[in-house]
Amino acid sequence: MFEVRNISFAYARRPVLRGVSFVVSPGETVAIVGANGSGKTTLLKILATLAQPEGGSVLVDGQDALAMPIRYRRLMGYMPESPALYEDMTVKGYLRFRAQLKGEPEKRIRRRVGESVEMCQLAPYLRHPIRSLSAGLKKRVALADAMLLRPRVLLLDDFLSGLDRDLRVSSESIITNIAAFAGVVVTGHEIADMSKWTTRFLVLRDGKITHTVSSAGIDRESLVAKVDAALSGGAQ
Amino acid sequence: MTSAMKIMWARTLGILRSSYTTAFAYAGFLAGAGALFAFALEAAEGGTESLAVVWTSSAAPVVPLLAAVLSMDLWSEELRTGRISMLLSTPVRERELVIGKFMGAWTATVFGLVIFLATSIGFMAAFAPALLSRVSVLGFVPGLLALALQSALWCAVSLAASAATKSVAVSGLLSVSLTTLLPRGIWLAILAWSPTGRQELGAMPIDANATDMACGLVSSATVLTYLGLTLFALFVNSKLVACARLVGRGARQLRMSTAFTIVAAAVLAASSITLVHRLDAKLDIPVGGTERKTFSARTRNILSEVRGELVISAFMSRKDPHFRQTAHLLRSLSREAESVGGVRIQVRYVDPVWDIGSAERLVREGASRDSLVFERGRLKAYLPLSEGIDERKCTSAIVRLCMPPQRRTVYWTHGHGESSFDEYGDFGMSDIARELVGDGYRNLPIDLSDKDQIPSDCALIVMAGATHDFSRAELGRLDSYLKTGGRLLLLMGSSESGGMTSLLSTWGIKPSPLPISDGPTITGTDIVISDFAEHPVSAPLRGSQVILERPITFTPSAAASESGTAVDRIGYSELALSQGRCVAAVAERGAGTGEDVALRPTRIITVGDDTFVANAQLESRANANRDFFLNCVAYLSGSAAVAEDGTRTDRLVTGLDRDGRGRLLVFSSAILPAAVFVLLALLIASGRRNP
Repeated sequence: MFEVRNISFAYARRPVLRGVSFVVSPGETVAIVGANGSGKTTLLKILATLAQPEGGSVLVDGQDALAMPIRYRRLMGYMPESPALYEDMTVKGYLRFRAQLKGEPEKRIRRRVGESVEMCQLAPYLRHPIRSLSAGLKKRVALADAMLLRPRVLLLDDFLSGLDRDLRVSSESIITNIAAFAGVVVTGHEIADMSKWTTRFLVLRDGKITHTVSSAGIDRESLVAKVDAALSGGAQ
Repeated sequence: MTSAMKIMWARTLGILRSSYTTAFAYAGFLAGAGALFAFALEAAEGGTESLAVVWTSSAAPVVPLLAAVLSMDLWSEELRTGRISMLLSTPVRERELVIGKFMGAWTATVFGLVIFLATSIGFMAAFAPALLSRVSVLGFVPGLLALALQSALWCAVSLAASAATKSVAVSGLLSVSLTTLLPRGIWLAILAWSPTGRQELGAMPIDANATDMACGLVSSATVLTYLGLTLFALFVNSKLVACARLVGRGARQLRMSTAFTIVAAAVLAASSITLVHRLDAKLDIPVGGTERKTFSARTRNILSEVRGELVISAFMSRKDPHFRQTAHLLRSLSREAESVGGVRIQVRYVDPVWDIGSAERLVREGASRDSLVFERGRLKAYLPLSEGIDERKCTSAIVRLCMPPQRRTVYWTHGHGESSFDEYGDFGMSDIARELVGDGYRNLPIDLSDKDQIPSDCALIVMAGATHDFSRAELGRLDSYLKTGGRLLLLMGSSESGGMTSLLSTWGIKPSPLPISDGPTITGTDIVISDFAEHPVSAPLRGSQVILERPITFTPSAAASESGTAVDRIGYSELALSQGRCVAAVAERGAGTGEDVALRPTRIITVGDDTFVANAQLESRANANRDFFLNCVAYLSGSAAVAEDGTRTDRLVTGLDRDGRGRLLVFSSAILPAAVFVLLALLIASGRRNP
């Protein structure tokens, strides 16, 4: 169980997050949506231990994750909004490097890289230099990197932005595969695309979770309409 | 070292291997260090510095730049591209990432040093094979280690600078400033503020540290200072990387505590450095057998002949810039005395500040600070450091203390246009006369027209380039003196010098009127002499170069013969030759019994240049003229102990002429770096196509 409890964050004079709380169960995919500047990326950075919250805590199976960051990072995968990779490496070399850096034993690296490559459909590009890949493929490499160690929670920042139509379609199967072993927290603006695989939408507004829209029991169109309404300030 | 460190180490090397900046950095480093090496070789020509020290001192000023350029974007590029997020979200501590990057940058820097060492040795093999044949490659290892130690600091500082900013340009400027501009700027400011700073403080400390270690003088304080500063820089680097997480208002306290930790670490580092300097221990490690000082035959003879115990106290601060060479010389002298089974030399170091009791005793006994005190029983000799300390001066002090006085006055003729021993101009002989005093001789003028006998304490007469003829009476007196076992050293600018031709002919030597104008030369007018005959005067000079200005030549006259009794026979021997022509000769009557000093055979040495030991000539260290002259004097004065005097064989002589030096400069500073750049650029381009 991944639990975010009362997280708040502010830059010098501007509060960004005010008491954000939510829970992600294993196998669940939670999408955080909101206008630009609403704090989605900041929230994911905090969850990825890349920023220090002013208050609040992150719990994994009831234990304070931020107090044990090294252990927590082994359970967490993070894909930033604009993933930056080592362009001089090949896809395979890069994923091996990342698995080694994350401390995966040498005998398991081959299997882990193979699984990630398969899930992210990167097999044809294994020997390609990263610099020769398109932005969408680079994003898939970053995604493969994030899920290398089969994390308990996967944080995907603006996952669908910059992907072409084909990649967006294939992302559905990718996320479905990932959700089999991890809780997924994803941010973005592509509500219609995300509605295909999201179990719950959290609407972030003025630094707070203002609406929670579950996909259970409603069709996709109604789900998208409800989220759109929540985004534009409709009833909670 | 953790697995994450190794992975980052390899990744950093991978980044450097695929960056054109690396090719540029290596080429620039080789060009800078190569040019300095060529110039340093020229400056050290004829000096006592070893090739390894010259190499180390050439690389030391440029290594910081290499380390800065290689390291300057290793963190700033991660910050700029956002890869820092990817690195910081992995289950790895910041210090592991930092150490991994540091190891990568350091390895690349040390690799640059190894390339420079290999190419320097290659150039020496091509341009000065004779010099290289006397040097062991192992002798370069201490210098390489010293530079590696320094480069660790430069890499750590540059990486810390790189972690402070996203901008590669700012990071580069900061790195170069911290590693090069700031230390050297401060040093130049100190020198500008204190005009006598260079004399008082010696060489730039960073360069001096490297050369100290290169010649085996290891200071614990220096090593620990570099290690401490490197650790401090890595600590700061680690904190700066961690600061990438400290965004927002909530991290304000953490930022404050990080700043406080850095300040506390700085204070701790400064305190530790002060402490290790207070407790400094200096080790003089004989490095690779090659750095052990080689002493002349004369010194070895004296050391083996003297018995008993001799105490040499170095009354000087350990921080004195001369301490390194002095300690090295004294320890080598002590080891040499032990190896030849002679006098037992005990070396003591008395620091005027720290060894108060011993310092007080020395001062009470008349020693002044910054001097060497030689003690044998109740006899003492003092050598002030300000006059320069070398093997010859130490040997002379030992001779003065340990050997019985002999008749050792050198008489210089005057009144016929000769160079005078008390003339300080370019053509005067004051410098060589001072050397004679150091060896225990007295210099006095002699007037051959005087009716008095030539004094009985006359060890030899020197005629240094007479331009007017001696009178018949003077020549008669000289001839009489020679017939009774006299000794004459004749420096001749022309065959007519002093009207000595006929006198010399009766003693077996015939000067030729024409000077030599062809042969190996440095300036075009001089002749480089490197062919020395098997004779006690000249044999020890083999491997050296004596430089004479358009010398005249000598041939044996009819008086020289191989027949006759041992007492009457006049033997003629060549001492130095230029392309088979004799430019210095010795005639000896009673040469068959020449070893018997008591019989006092006549000895005349003629050298075909009257200015070869003039003050202006001795300013150049690139020749062995001084040694040749002193060998002549030692041989003529007839002391058995000094008859085998020789030149110091540890002189650095490349044998390169002006063209050779020019070629070395062009190859080492331009052609090689350009070739390395092209090669690396091709490899990088190929690696980018096929990663």
